[in-house]
Amino acid sequence: MSEIDPALNSGNAASSSAAAGANERKLARKETWRLIRRRPSFIIGMTIALIWVVCALFGNLLAPFDPLNFRGDLNSSPTWSHPFGTDKGGRDVLSRVIAGARDVLKIAPIAAILGVIGGVILGMFMGYLRGWFDSVASRIVESFLSLPVVLLGLLAVTTLGNSNVVVIGVVATLFTPVVARTVRSAVLAESELDYVESAKLRGESTPFIMFREILPNVSGPIVVELTVRIGYAVFTVATLSFLGAGPPPPSPDWGSQVSDNYNSIVSGYWWSTFFPAMAIASLVIAVNLIADAVQSVVESS
Amino acid sequence: MRRYLLKRLGAIIITLWMLATIVFMLVNVLPGDVGRRVLGPTAKLEDVRAYNAKLGTDKPLIEQYFRSIKNLFTFDFGDSFQSGGPVMDLILPSLGRSAKLALLAFIITIPISIAAGIFAARRQDKLADRVVVNAGLASSSVPEFVTASVLLAVFAVNWKVGKVYANVPSGTSLFGQLEYLLLPAMAMVISYFGYIARMTRAGVITALHADYTRTATLKGLDSGQVMRKHVLRNALAPTITVISVQIGYLFGGIIGVEKVFNYAGLGTLMLNAVGKKDIPVLQTTVLIVGMIYMVSTLLADLLIAFLNPRVRLDGGS
Repeated sequence: MSEIDPALNSGNAASSSAAAGANERKLARKETWRLIRRRPSFIIGMTIALIWVVCALFGNLLAPFDPLNFRGDLNSSPTWSHPFGTDKGGRDVLSRVIAGARDVLKIAPIAAILGVIGGVILGMFMGYLRGWFDSVASRIVESFLSLPVVLLGLLAVTTLGNSNVVVIGVVATLFTPVVARTVRSAVLAESELDYVESAKLRGESTPFIMFREILPNVSGPIVVELTVRIGYAVFTVATLSFLGAGPPPPSPDWGSQVSDNYNSIVSGYWWSTFFPAMAIASLVIAVNLIADAVQSVVESS
Repeated sequence: MRRYLLKRLGAIIITLWMLATIVFMLVNVLPGDVGRRVLGPTAKLEDVRAYNAKLGTDKPLIEQYFRSIKNLFTFDFGDSFQSGGPVMDLILPSLGRSAKLALLAFIITIPISIAAGIFAARRQDKLADRVVVNAGLASSSVPEFVTASVLLAVFAVNWKVGKVYANVPSGTSLFGQLEYLLLPAMAMVISYFGYIARMTRAGVITALHADYTRTATLKGLDSGQVMRKHVLRNALAPTITVISVQIGYLFGGIIGVEKVFNYAGLGTLMLNAVGKKDIPVLQTTVLIVGMIYMVSTLLADLLIAFLNPRVRLDGGS
């Protein structure tokens, strides 16, 4: 597979000594990380993403007004004291945009990480064990790919209840098969290599070979998949919360804000929708820029 | 070819069964009273009982499961809680309206993004290429409802171009309908442009560097012929696949677009169903969209097999 880091492989496959392999791998990883950091798309993406992380962590301290309880003039257009204007409830839009970073940055990464963990475990077993387990799991994975995430999310919050846990569960569950497919094909290629054979001859246990021998060598595609999945998770969580499967109205969550205010656009009050919408756009673009940088470095090295 | 087709159809039936099982499990995966969970802790006991009776969740699980599988083959998905009539009577007209919007979006997206992909590939790593690649990355990573609300504010409200409400009054001419549908369609065009353009670009770059392209150029074909007969024919397979996948995924994004433009399509139907706790409508919509995805990926694979005989011969053996 092209997406496996050849530098990582050769390091381990060539040396029979595990310590030397690990050392070389560490060096290769350092080099990859150095190349990623130098990419302009990574620098831009990381800067924007970090701004939002700071807002998510310290939003209540940074916001000039109380995002929930401040009451000013209704629908006032942007001014010096309210640079993003106020919404239909008289709340300061800037303060709400700053405070609203928290919900999506809490839910999306957790969902993506859980989905990647599930996908790595499933994909490792599929790629390493093969046989009937792989055939059956592959069929199931295929059918999950035909499931529309947003639609299923709407069904789930109706039948299981509207909560962060349900949203995280749905997104993570639907990401698992996508990740599993990538990991499976990486593991399939990897388990042909000599070091796996020699580990088997040494009499190592199957879990040891899978998670101590193979896993470190497929870390490249897994890291790529994680960054890509975080981008999709932000996208999906924001969409679901716009559609009503998010925190209820007074919450400053960006998707909920857009949903709460888009009807006022017709009356000319564009700012209460525009700024939270731009916040969503900047965050997803930032995460995708990071993912793009990681992907191009890992795949070309 | 026939064996290839039969194999694919067999896979589709299994996938469909899986899909129905997952949709069934989403209602029944948690222990406890389904009606109570859906209606909330404050609902009256008789309302909960009536709801369970309507949904069929008062019956044993096995019986419910077999009924939901049977529905798949009879295409009778029960009655909607909102209208009292068959679910399909609600879904089909909404699906038609969503399909019209989606079709317009694809008619605009496909030629523009394929052209942009080819354009970028022929100028690989030059400024024009970077612009296409990065604009594509940015536009396709932004959720559709975000693009839609910005388009609504800028065009429909500020510049008075296009309509705020996309529902087309009956009797509007085909051309007149464009005024209503263009803005919501553009929101989708912007979202799908990036994927298709980037995929086309990657396919064309691979084909441009392939041996058969060099042979074609060296044997003296002019560049137009090389492009049409050798590069594009090989480069478009991944593009076709990505388009077919988009057709399935577009139903996720179209819900947001329909909400922003108050368009009475499948998305609006689903959002109303969420509000009315109309689970049969939600379940059936998920199933239908899953089926559309399967059919569109099947058609794409057939088209690729048609364009490239190696695929269909390999698939048959």
